[in-house]
Amino acid sequence: MSVSPGEYPFVAGRHAIPAIAALWGRGKVYGAGKVIKQGFGYSGCGTVEDLRDFYLGEGAGLTMRGPNLAFDLPTQIGLDSDDPRSEGEVGKVGVCMDSLKDFETLYEIFQGDRDLDKISSNWTINGTTNLILAMYIALAEKRNIPISSLKGTPQNDILKEFVARGTQMFPVDASMRMTRDTITFCTEYMPKMNTISISGFHMREAGATRVQAIAFTFANAIAYFQTAIDAGLDVDQFAGRTTFLNFGGGMELLKEAAARRAARKVWAKIMRDRLNSKKPKNWIYKETGGALAGYWTCTKQRPLNNWMRVGLGAAFSALIGDPPALVPPFDEPLGLGHSPEADQLSADAARIIMEECKLSDVQDVFAGSYYIESLTSRYEKEIFDLIDRIDEMGGATKVAENGWMKKEIARSAFEFEKKMETGENIRVGINKYTEADEIEIIPKLTSMYHSIDTAKAEQKQLDKLKKLKQERDNKKVQSCLEKIENAARDDKVNLIPFFVEAVKEYTTMGEICNTLKKVFGDAMDN
Amino acid sequence: MTVDNKIRVLVSKIGLDGHDKGAMLIASILRDAGMEVIYTGLRRTPTQCVNTALQEDVDVIGLSILSGSHLTLVLKVIELMKAKGVDDKKLIVGGVIPDEDIPKLKDMGVDAVFTQSSTYLEMIDYIKKATGKEDAST
Repeated sequence: MSVSPGEYPFVAGRHAIPAIAALWGRGKVYGAGKVIKQGFGYSGCGTVEDLRDFYLGEGAGLTMRGPNLAFDLPTQIGLDSDDPRSEGEVGKVGVCMDSLKDFETLYEIFQGDRDLDKISSNWTINGTTNLILAMYIALAEKRNIPISSLKGTPQNDILKEFVARGTQMFPVDASMRMTRDTITFCTEYMPKMNTISISGFHMREAGATRVQAIAFTFANAIAYFQTAIDAGLDVDQFAGRTTFLNFGGGMELLKEAAARRAARKVWAKIMRDRLNSKKPKNWIYKETGGALAGYWTCTKQRPLNNWMRVGLGAAFSALIGDPPALVPPFDEPLGLGHSPEADQLSADAARIIMEECKLSDVQDVFAGSYYIESLTSRYEKEIFDLIDRIDEMGGATKVAENGWMKKEIARSAFEFEKKMETGENIRVGINKYTEADEIEIIPKLTSMYHSIDTAKAEQKQLDKLKKLKQERDNKKVQSCLEKIENAARDDKVNLIPFFVEAVKEYTTMGEICNTLKKVFGDAMDN
Repeated sequence: MTVDNKIRVLVSKIGLDGHDKGAMLIASILRDAGMEVIYTGLRRTPTQCVNTALQEDVDVIGLSILSGSHLTLVLKVIELMKAKGVDDKKLIVGGVIPDEDIPKLKDMGVDAVFTQSSTYLEMIDYIKKATGKEDAST
């Protein structure tokens, strides 16, 4: 079997030279050496006014190619800011978005040569993906921009929410219908829009082993793809607009490298042999890359050690032909949000890996290594075995909803922690080298969002929402909600056009989601 | 030693944060240490949490919060505990809690805060001492 790049089963990836090496430093668009300073720009907190002003000022570099938005939990779960359950959460882990009004305010800064048809938006959003897409469509229509030119990536990976991230809103069948709607709608009307970014990262962070993370991710991917195929699409019509985020990682980097290589093989075989894709381009596992060392491996004790951990992970990423993304910055465990100082060190480490060490000169330096190749084969078998087991239990939708995946992951997490207790697993500064002669090192850091007062965001948002609900045409809002409720009762109907109509009348996310829950049921307590 | 002497702990996720690895791990580890653990599941309101603590007659309430909403939510729990007359129970908070917020939580009435720096042994020791009960496995 070929181990050459660009040949099936693509164990060495797609290109003879890593894509990252070809793109690095090429002018403004691909100026990775500069762009990487901003990481991937993932940001957001407070109100949209706060975030808009932040992007105009100190955060300007974060939106060079469009925003990469973090939303607060009420927005992610489809609760309005004035819902009692939102108290204390508004504007905390991301920006708050109650209605199209908020969306319009935030996107004020994306006009002219950075209008919606020229940028790409990235939204870390799952359950409410189709509402965010509806707002993007509504805004484009208001600006007379054809929706076929819209580019972006919603995360939209709802199964892993049931398993490891916890923002599921509807029962699994209704959730999968939402995913179907995204894929069928975008395939027809928004061919440049990615429809899903499937991720193993959250499951790995929750304690999954590397084999579990990869197998569960692919089992979820098969479920999404099959849903779209069952809706009448050919796999090659939509596969090009699906991406994988990443699998997360751990500190045993030789094993992590082998697992990634195995994943490439497994996905190529699934696409070709199981989902009957005819286009080899679609058989290639595409990963944003990085996070080979994980986030969960980072420690609050002697936090600068995380730079070493993640830096080594990035170096190994480069050695298997992936981008040497240093995520997370070393200060991840210190609180919420990263400091510019930690971002600087992350960017510099990636630059050192690329420009001083030139680790991306070869696509897959491990090809042919006895140890790595045998490990790759072992992982390939273990991943396929686990996917087979999930098939026997009824597929990913079944085991995501009935809690099996979650239980398996929790068991792995517990087993890992027991080994930390016995010393079989080592974390420097945590369960070894903690004697009095080892010293703590706390670097001086500043806050990324020091201009944003998140404590005031909730009240500001509540005032805006109250005003919005007074000023809009509430009769039209009610009529839109009735149409949504009726449409939701017919499983064959794609709900996105109904959402577009509703958000244009400034119907709120919470109002739409509560209406849907009347039909679908509520997964809040799952 | 009777079952009655077992330490009873409620582990709860309040607020909207869906990260439950820590809560589930703590639940397993405290069970492993011989305690009775009730885990509420995700996204419980402070009222649901305190009501469960009351019904289950626990000795300790452990809250896990990673979304940065700890100051608001913990205060609500404490107010409810006082209103329902269960503020004699030990209240422990864990999760992503910035160091500068730890004194604020303790001033509100939180008995102990455990973060990523804490070890399980510290937590188990604390609970045993604070409740004055031995666990059933000893």
